[in-house]
Amino acid sequence: MAARDILPAATRSICPHCGADLDAELIDRDGRVVLRRECPEHGPIEALAYGDTVRWRNAQRYDRPGAAPLLRQTAADKGCPRDCGICPEHAQHTCLGIIEVNTGCNLDCPVCFAESGTGHQPDGYSLSLAQVESMLDAFVAAEGQPEALQLSGGEPSIHPHILDMLAAAKARGIPLVMLNTNGIRLARDPRFAPALAGLGVHVYLQFDGFDDATHRAIRGRRLQEIKQRALDRCAAAGVGVSLAAAVERGINEHELGAIVRFGVEHPAVNGVFFQPVTHTGRHPGFDPLDRLTNVEVIRGLCAQLPDWFREDDFVAVPCCSPTCRSATYALYDGEDLVPLPRLVDVDRYLGFVTNRALPDLEVAAALSGLFSASAAGGTERTAGRLECVACGVGLPEELQRIAARGFMVVAQDFQDEWTLDVTKLRKCCVAEIVPDGRMIPFCAYNAAGYRAQIRADLAARTTA
Amino acid sequence: MTSFLPDLTPLELETDPKGCCARLYESDAVRWLLDEQLHPGGEQLTRRLAELAGVAPGRRVLDVACGSGATALLLARELDCVVVGVDLGARAIEQARRATHAGVRASFLLGDAEALPLPDASFDVAMSECSLCTFPDKPRAIMEMARVVRPGGSIAIADVTADLDALPAQLRSAAARVACVADARSAGAYAALLRDAGCEPLAIEPHDAELRAMADRVEARLRLARMLAPPGDEREGIREAAALSRLAIDAIARGTLGYALITARV
Repeated sequence: MAARDILPAATRSICPHCGADLDAELIDRDGRVVLRRECPEHGPIEALAYGDTVRWRNAQRYDRPGAAPLLRQTAADKGCPRDCGICPEHAQHTCLGIIEVNTGCNLDCPVCFAESGTGHQPDGYSLSLAQVESMLDAFVAAEGQPEALQLSGGEPSIHPHILDMLAAAKARGIPLVMLNTNGIRLARDPRFAPALAGLGVHVYLQFDGFDDATHRAIRGRRLQEIKQRALDRCAAAGVGVSLAAAVERGINEHELGAIVRFGVEHPAVNGVFFQPVTHTGRHPGFDPLDRLTNVEVIRGLCAQLPDWFREDDFVAVPCCSPTCRSATYALYDGEDLVPLPRLVDVDRYLGFVTNRALPDLEVAAALSGLFSASAAGGTERTAGRLECVACGVGLPEELQRIAARGFMVVAQDFQDEWTLDVTKLRKCCVAEIVPDGRMIPFCAYNAAGYRAQIRADLAARTTA
Repeated sequence: MTSFLPDLTPLELETDPKGCCARLYESDAVRWLLDEQLHPGGEQLTRRLAELAGVAPGRRVLDVACGSGATALLLARELDCVVVGVDLGARAIEQARRATHAGVRASFLLGDAEALPLPDASFDVAMSECSLCTFPDKPRAIMEMARVVRPGGSIAIADVTADLDALPAQLRSAAARVACVADARSAGAYAALLRDAGCEPLAIEPHDAELRAMADRVEARLRLARMLAPPGDEREGIREAAALSRLAIDAIARGTLGYALITARV
């Protein structure tokens, strides 16, 4: 993929009001990157794409060429983002596959990109085990050896066959199988965490902060005791957990540091994923030019934990478009925390610095696996890779053991109707696997109308 | 890793600062702390210093305080010059000799920078990387470099630069001296010393970012070392060293501490 580190940069986007496909450009405005286009019907449309132009430009160096999937399910016909599935013009294979097994939920969150809920949903669906198995087969056919899969929803834990579905994914040899959950079933059902432990499933737990106001604003009710009980049950059963925080301007920006502090102390938690709220599906009012991007999230975290983190501890993840995801790993011993990039010249190993001696290839491969959309903290693969890096850079053996428990912190900015940039989208490596076997890049699924189409198709079939 | 830092008593630091520095930079722990990169900017900045000094094939080059010979061997190998390294650390000199492959024109001598065991006007270039700041008698060391270089040859210094009056007291302590900080000078003061030795200063090239990267690396590794140290004096010592490195990082950010390449014609 050609580097595009000069602004303005031409791309394509859509109108958030009518969905029309539009020419667009990324421009620098007061040191920030703004996505601008004009809809013939709705006029000029602008949204913040990245909170810092200098960082945006630096991140482009991390735009590693993608790898092709084994299969392309659709033809390039109407142009991006209307041919998804994956079409021949897509520039990356899928690191992380997502299957949304249902639309039903045991919460009614004011923020929900999937528009799920507890009430009767005339347009809702619930997949059968056979459907999920055929979708998993499609994923294996496209990837050969898929790296990571997440079962999501709705709330997947309330699906009556969820354990069978997770087992089916493990049976296909997918190393990282995650359950994306709000934790209510984990807290209430004492058999659930042990069952997940038995399957070797990693939990991706919604965890937005500690203030009642945060929970009410994002989830509609107080949840702190439920989250705590869910985590304690995971710890007792030996289930690894990543905390996933939806972060919104003015709601829980102040809790970033507290979430990481809580995470490093809790025995079940191996990482935190901060996701700026996408303004798709159900969401509160917002200013598209004052939304959060990875830059604001990382800056906020560093300001709240200045002894632990600074901005350049976060590495742009090179498999997807490099402004989508930034990650770091940290060594923590109960008192101090040291980010891994301070010990290893990650740039050098990931090949972004030219004119240097070829570094240890094993270490380079391990780092490449660590800084990927298919990685999660606390898994065996992550521990193995961290140990390889620690050994490769000459850390003493005792430190290699601390390093292997490395805590992962990620900022992941998904796109919505306001921020959709097809140049980024073409490099996307997170895909929604849908029942007909297509694999639709996650942000296209949410922002370009695929979610509504698939949901309508499935609802029609369920009622038929 | 039972004893992490070499035993440097305060008395030694006061009475024998040069020997103390030499022993410190020989120790495995310090080499690990610095990630084998014993001066800011690593090999890239060494090449830049050689370029500024006009090192070319066949030139006779002296490396003062050469440590275990990394720079001398790099220059001999890459630039095909004839290098002599001098250091006060006996173990470092042994290591340098062992690392010298046949055919590489580099040799190593045990000796004091303030009384070089070398004849007058016997080199085209004398270099000193990140070591002048640790010498107690800097004018003397520079005079010695000027003495052994032929007229028209050059002196090239890479070193920590400091605005001493603006440094916090902790960074002017004896412990900070071995970390190349407490007795550093401003770039202008180094140039003045060169002028006093009868040389003509040519260029001052600042490289503060490289010093910052090195200080960051040391600070992070000290914090890791603290994780491993048994509770007690050693752990507290490492904690203090980490605090010192954080002060240095702050000083670099404020511009009171830096790194520069300085050249002069003899």
